[in-house]
Formats: sequence, C-alpha cells, structure tokens
Amino acid sequence: MSDATDDGEGAIADRIDRYLDALREWATGLYHGLVTHPAYEKIEKEAEDLEDTFMLACFPDAFGIPSPVSYYTAELLPYLESEFEAWERRMWDRGSMLERKGQQYHF
Amino acid sequence: MEKFVFFGGKGGVGKTTMSAAYAVKCADAGLDTLVVSTDPAHSTSDVFDQQLGDEPQAVDGRDRLWAMEIDPDEEVEHHLMETKRALGDQVSAALVNEIDRQIEMAHQTPGAYEAALFDRFVDVMRSSEAYDRVVFDTSPTGGTLRLLGLPEFLEGWIDRLLRKREQSIDLFEKAAIGNNEPRRVMDGDPILARLRERKEFFEYAGETLREHAAFFLVVNPDELSVRETRRAAEGLSDRGLSVRGLAVNRLTPGPDDDENGRGARYLRDRVATERAHLRTLREEFDQPVVAEIETRVEEVKGDFLTEVAAELDIDTAAPATPSSEST
Repeated sequence: MSDATDDGEGAIADRIDRYLDALREWATGLYHGLVTHPAYEKIEKEAEDLEDTFMLACFPDAFGIPSPVSYYTAELLPYLESEFEAWERRMWDRGSMLERKGQQYHF
Repeated sequence: MEKFVFFGGKGGVGKTTMSAAYAVKCADAGLDTLVVSTDPAHSTSDVFDQQLGDEPQAVDGRDRLWAMEIDPDEEVEHHLMETKRALGDQVSAALVNEIDRQIEMAHQTPGAYEAALFDRFVDVMRSSEAYDRVVFDTSPTGGTLRLLGLPEFLEGWIDRLLRKREQSIDLFEKAAIGNNEPRRVMDGDPILARLRERKEFFEYAGETLREHAAFFLVVNPDELSVRETRRAAEGLSDRGLSVRGLAVNRLTPGPDDDENGRGARYLRDRVATERAHLRTLREEFDQPVVAEIETRVEEVKGDFLTEVAAELDIDTAAPATPSSEST
C-alpha cells in the first residue's frame, strides 16, 4: 500500500513539474516573441544591410557599374556563395528603403 | 642605389635600351642583376637577341645577368583558373554557373590587365632575394604612373571593405542572442582572411616602391618628350616616389666644322634645337641629367650595349639592404 501512496505523491510531483514546464515554455515563448525575436531580427536586418553595402562595393559590375577592382574581389566569390545569391535577390526585390525597414514591424 | 630601379618615359624614347644598358653595367660591376620588362610591347628579347619568357632566364654571353618579360595575359588566365578552382571546391553545383559568370566578367574588365601586371611585378619584387639589383623596363608613362599609383588606392579600398565586413559579422554575432547560432562568425572567416592577405600585399608594394625603389626617366631632346617628362616627374613625386635623374637619349651628333653640305646644315640646326631642350632639362628640372647618349646608326645590341652602359652616369653600388650588408 505504501507503494501506492508513493505513486500518488509521485504523480502530484509529476503534474507540478509538467505544469511548470508548460508555464516555462509559455513564458519563454512570450519573452522570445515580444523581446528576443524582434531584437535579433532587427540587428540581423542591420547586419544584412551592411553586408549588402559590402557586396555592392565588391561587385558593382553585377549591376552594370564597371569596377576597377573586380579583378581582386572576384577571388572572394567562391567563399561568398550563399551571400551572393541572397544579395542579388535582395537587391532586385527591394522596392524601397521604406519597404525594407517596414518589414521589421509585423503589422 | 636602391635594389629596385625603374626606367620610365614616353613611348619610343629608348627605355628598353637604357634599362638593358644599366643592367649590363650592374652585372659588369659584379651584381647579380635581373632585367624585367613590364611593357606589353616587349622588346627586351630583341635587345638581347634571345627569346625571353615569363620566368627569369640567364642572358647568353653575359655573366650575372638575367632577364624576363612579364606576360599579363598569362597572369589573368592563371588568376581566372585559380579562382575557378576555389569555386569548384567551395560552391554547390547548383550555384556554380551564376557565380562563374560573375568571375568571368571580372576578368574581362579593363582593370584586370593592369591588376595582373601589378600582381606579377610585385611578385617579382617579393621573390628577388637571389638578385642584388632588379631593373624594371616599364611601359610608357601613363600606364606606369597608373600602375605605380595602384597600391595607395587599393590599400584604401581594401581597408573600407575589411571594415564593412567586420561590422556586419559583428552584428550577426550580436544578433545571436541566447543559444542561437550566429549566421557568420569572425574567427576563420575566409573573406576577412583573403582581404587581410591582399592588404598586406598592397602594403608591401607601396612601402617597397617608396623606400627601396629609384626611378629614372628616359627623355629625348624634343619638345613632346620634355613636356611629358615634366608631367611624369611631377606625377611620380606626387605619389612619394623619388625620381633620381633624367637619362637623355638619341642626341644627334654634330657634323665636322669643315662640312657644309645640306646634310651638315640639317645636322647643325638639329643639334642647336636639341641643345636648347637639353638646357631646359638641365635648368628647369630638379633632377640631374645622368646620361647623354648619342644616336647610333646600328641597333643598340651586344658590344654597343656595353658602350652605352659606360656612358650612363648612374652608380651601381650595392643596395643598402640587410642581405647585402652582411657580406
């Protein structure tokens, strides 16, 4: 019988644990959604913007602007695989600076 | 005299002859000497009567003398292949084409040829431990000035790129709040590594040109050449490169006093105008006239080269680099 009581106490402890877990998950989710995510999204967007400037400085000839140093920057291309493609897409897609900044706010 | 000696000037004034003659002079003085032609219209081969290539070759019949002709086309091709090889190693098959096109394009731009030439001659300077003196026979003024102006321009450029890249990586790292993996990390970033390598290369080039190189301008005694020389001297000084002297080439020999035919009268007039230009060069330029070479009927080759070398008043004393001080 003492086993059963143990089980009962164990079950309650389990339920409390589960409840706390769920609470923690919600809290984390809420915190993440309200604070963390918008924060790092913003920083990441800013970083992307900087990266775009870097890419444009490296490869203006991709947009028809001749560059005297593209001979040197071409040797960076093999290491810029994902950046290059994403950058080209971003550059072609970007309607305006406002649109880009607006994406940070989820209306 | 510095280890690296450059001869420049307007097209057709005899830069190749002068640099070859000076190299012969250095070699005869007991210095291991390399002549490098950076002029795309190579004529060093003709002066030495021997086909030269992109690697240093011993000059036939002369001790301590080597020569080479830089081929930028080959360098562009080599650079293209190298970049493409790295591309194959790094990039997934799906994207290769897109990036490949970009790389091809970069090697077709007008600057590519100059960049390749620049890379090659800096390479030659870097790997010249075997020689006591390296003589560069450069392309005509405009090209050379642009080439020598490159390091400063490129250093600034690379600096800006480096800073941008560092900033964006820094932000990506900061964006990784909590346990998120940052999209890019500063350590081992291949782009930063490449850019730094390049920066070092340009810094070496700039420093070597400013500290360990001497420039001579070859000039003919005529109006156009004198004017261009003035511009070249100013251009080089503006870039902090020291012009050591002017080598006057192609002076017309005067006739004997008792001659009075049409040819003699022509020569006398010619000599008179040339004297005037020579005076301009002597009086209006900061740099001394270090050679006055008369026109020769035959091509300047073989023994003539030694003769011209004797008339060059440019010293050959070993450069004051640490390597030669120890001897």
